[in-house]
Amino acid sequence: MIPLALVTKNLGKHKLRFVLTVLSLSVAIFLLCVLRSLVVALNAGVADAAANRIIVQSKVSLFVQLPQSYGPRLALVEGVEALARWNWFGGYYQDPANFFAQFATDPEELFDVYPEIQVVEGSKADFLANRKACLLGVDTAAKYGIRVGDTMPIIGALYPTADGSAWDFTVAGLYESKRKSVDQNTLFFHYEYLEKSLESGFASGPGGVGIFVLKVAPGFDPVEVMSEVDALYENGPQAVQATSESEFQAQFVSMVGNVPLLVSSIGGGVMLAILLATLNTMLMSAREQTRDIGVLKALGFTDGSVSGVLFLQALVLAGCGGLLGMILATASAPGIAAAIGSMFPGYQVTRGTLLEAAGATALIGVLAGIAPAVRARAMTVIDALRAVR
Amino acid sequence: MGANPMIRLRGVTKSYTRGGEALVVLDRLDLEMEQGGFYALMGPSGSGKTTLLNLIGGLDHADEGQIWIEDEDIARMDGPELAAWRAEKVGFVFQGFNLIPVLTAQENVELPLLLTPLSRRERHEHARLALELVGLDDRRGHRPSQLSGGQEQRVAIARALVTDPRLILADEPTGDLDRKSADDVLGLLQRLNRDFDKTILMVTHDPEAAQKARAIVHMEKGGTLGRIEPLEAVRP
Ligand SMILES: Nc1ncnc2c1ncn2[C@@H]1O[C@H](COP(=O)(O)OP(=O)(O)OP(=O)(O)O)[C@@H](O)[C@H]1O
Ligand SMILES: [Mg+2]
Repeated sequence: MIPLALVTKNLGKHKLRFVLTVLSLSVAIFLLCVLRSLVVALNAGVADAAANRIIVQSKVSLFVQLPQSYGPRLALVEGVEALARWNWFGGYYQDPANFFAQFATDPEELFDVYPEIQVVEGSKADFLANRKACLLGVDTAAKYGIRVGDTMPIIGALYPTADGSAWDFTVAGLYESKRKSVDQNTLFFHYEYLEKSLESGFASGPGGVGIFVLKVAPGFDPVEVMSEVDALYENGPQAVQATSESEFQAQFVSMVGNVPLLVSSIGGGVMLAILLATLNTMLMSAREQTRDIGVLKALGFTDGSVSGVLFLQALVLAGCGGLLGMILATASAPGIAAAIGSMFPGYQVTRGTLLEAAGATALIGVLAGIAPAVRARAMTVIDALRAVR
Repeated sequence: MGANPMIRLRGVTKSYTRGGEALVVLDRLDLEMEQGGFYALMGPSGSGKTTLLNLIGGLDHADEGQIWIEDEDIARMDGPELAAWRAEKVGFVFQGFNLIPVLTAQENVELPLLLTPLSRRERHEHARLALELVGLDDRRGHRPSQLSGGQEQRVAIARALVTDPRLILADEPTGDLDRKSADDVLGLLQRLNRDFDKTILMVTHDPEAAQKARAIVHMEKGGTLGRIEPLEAVRP
């Protein structure tokens, strides 16, 4: 029989101390949720990758361009149903801080290879027909307030124009993506436009193609197609490396560094700090309740229920902080997604993340409650009653 | 002494080790106290009065000997058995009141009833009656810090009697009180003894307080018991 009134009333006795501890707990749990959600966002592309797509890149590095002539040859490999070129444009809109990706691609093939890309505003036909048109992700459009029909000036950092002016793209349509394999931030435009601009001297920059994306026809084994592609250029002129889409995405994530490890270390540090703070609060509070422990035991409460009074205080304390932190993380998710969506597309606080946060909260509560509970259990009535208040 | 002892100690020894040296506080002590008695336990500081009271109340373990309370030898009980025994059979009143500071008077008195099968409403009602008995039913919602020392001790007495134990142990219950409050508390203890047939053992340094009891037990330095001095007949 644990006198529950003692749990809540002792927590409420020092209101400021309680509030401060709950606030720091909630900040820590909030941070944990955010960090975890960043990792989830980073890995979303890996998790949602298509099994029937193959990425072909230079064996040397992702940043080494492949000759354009590879395209028609790759299309002939048995089992390749369609192919799209992706070429990193590396420009920016108005300010270098406004980061989102732009790719020069083959519009018709793009829709073929990526059925998840769906035009939701404007028209696909306009995008296909107009050489200077572009297709923009709805998230980027929303962020900068861009609408169909607008002209979008992009400064070509990697492909500067001869007179230093911006590239002007007409927004023909906005797309949504039905899978996490493609984010909703990207600007796609015609590869042909880039090619012609380089030829005419309007702009300069690296020629060739960044990657080829192959769509494997039904019934064909992507692994076989990959080894055939690898074999094709084994002896030059430039060796290639074919990877599955999920492998490619994973490699992309690890390029940013070992983010999950980094995030776990930061998260672990935050958890340790907040555990010590909570433990400190609990030990202080338990010391003040030493005489009460003696009184309860004298009245006939068992060692177990007396230590339960203290243990539950730690659980309730941690629970309040954890719950508040999880509410904060959930409530702020749309705002955070809007702010950093271009870096971490698909940022969201998932159920899994909330479960992990709940687990961390429970762990903190248990660890902060054990020491006071054990002390209360072990203390004799006589010793506890002698304690000065 | 009569044939109906409430408390019977046989060869009770208790020692403490301090700095490697054993200090024998009680040495093979024998003692009997009648049911329905009101005893004042007096003696010099350090003579072992609190130690004796704690042993009789099952708050501490004797090194040797038997401690019979009514028909049970509590010296043989283990921790959980003793806890259950205390909850049912004894009420404690301490010098420092020892109320729980975050609880109201009503809640403090209800606390020991949590260990009984009483319903919530019954607990509330019993505690209310106990507070009424000590004259504090108008202070039920007050916390200890909002009460005077005398009122705090009366709440503590209400808490000690609310489970209706046959034995009440009080360690210097008036030690921290002024004369007037002390007399109120002593009057209450007398009433509990007379009207409710509680056996009371009270440690006190105050000769005036001791005169309110029905017998005085003198304890010598070194834990030997002197005579029991009857102040009036135990049973009228
Ligand atoms: N937990 C303990 N550890 C060591 N020595 C103790 C302990 N408790 C009591 N003593 C010693 O035992 C002796 C008797 O103590 P006790 O508290 O029973 O005396 P008392 O008669 O109640 O004294 P007072 O009138 O001052 O309250 C004292 O010498 C005291 O120092
Ligand atoms: Mg004493």
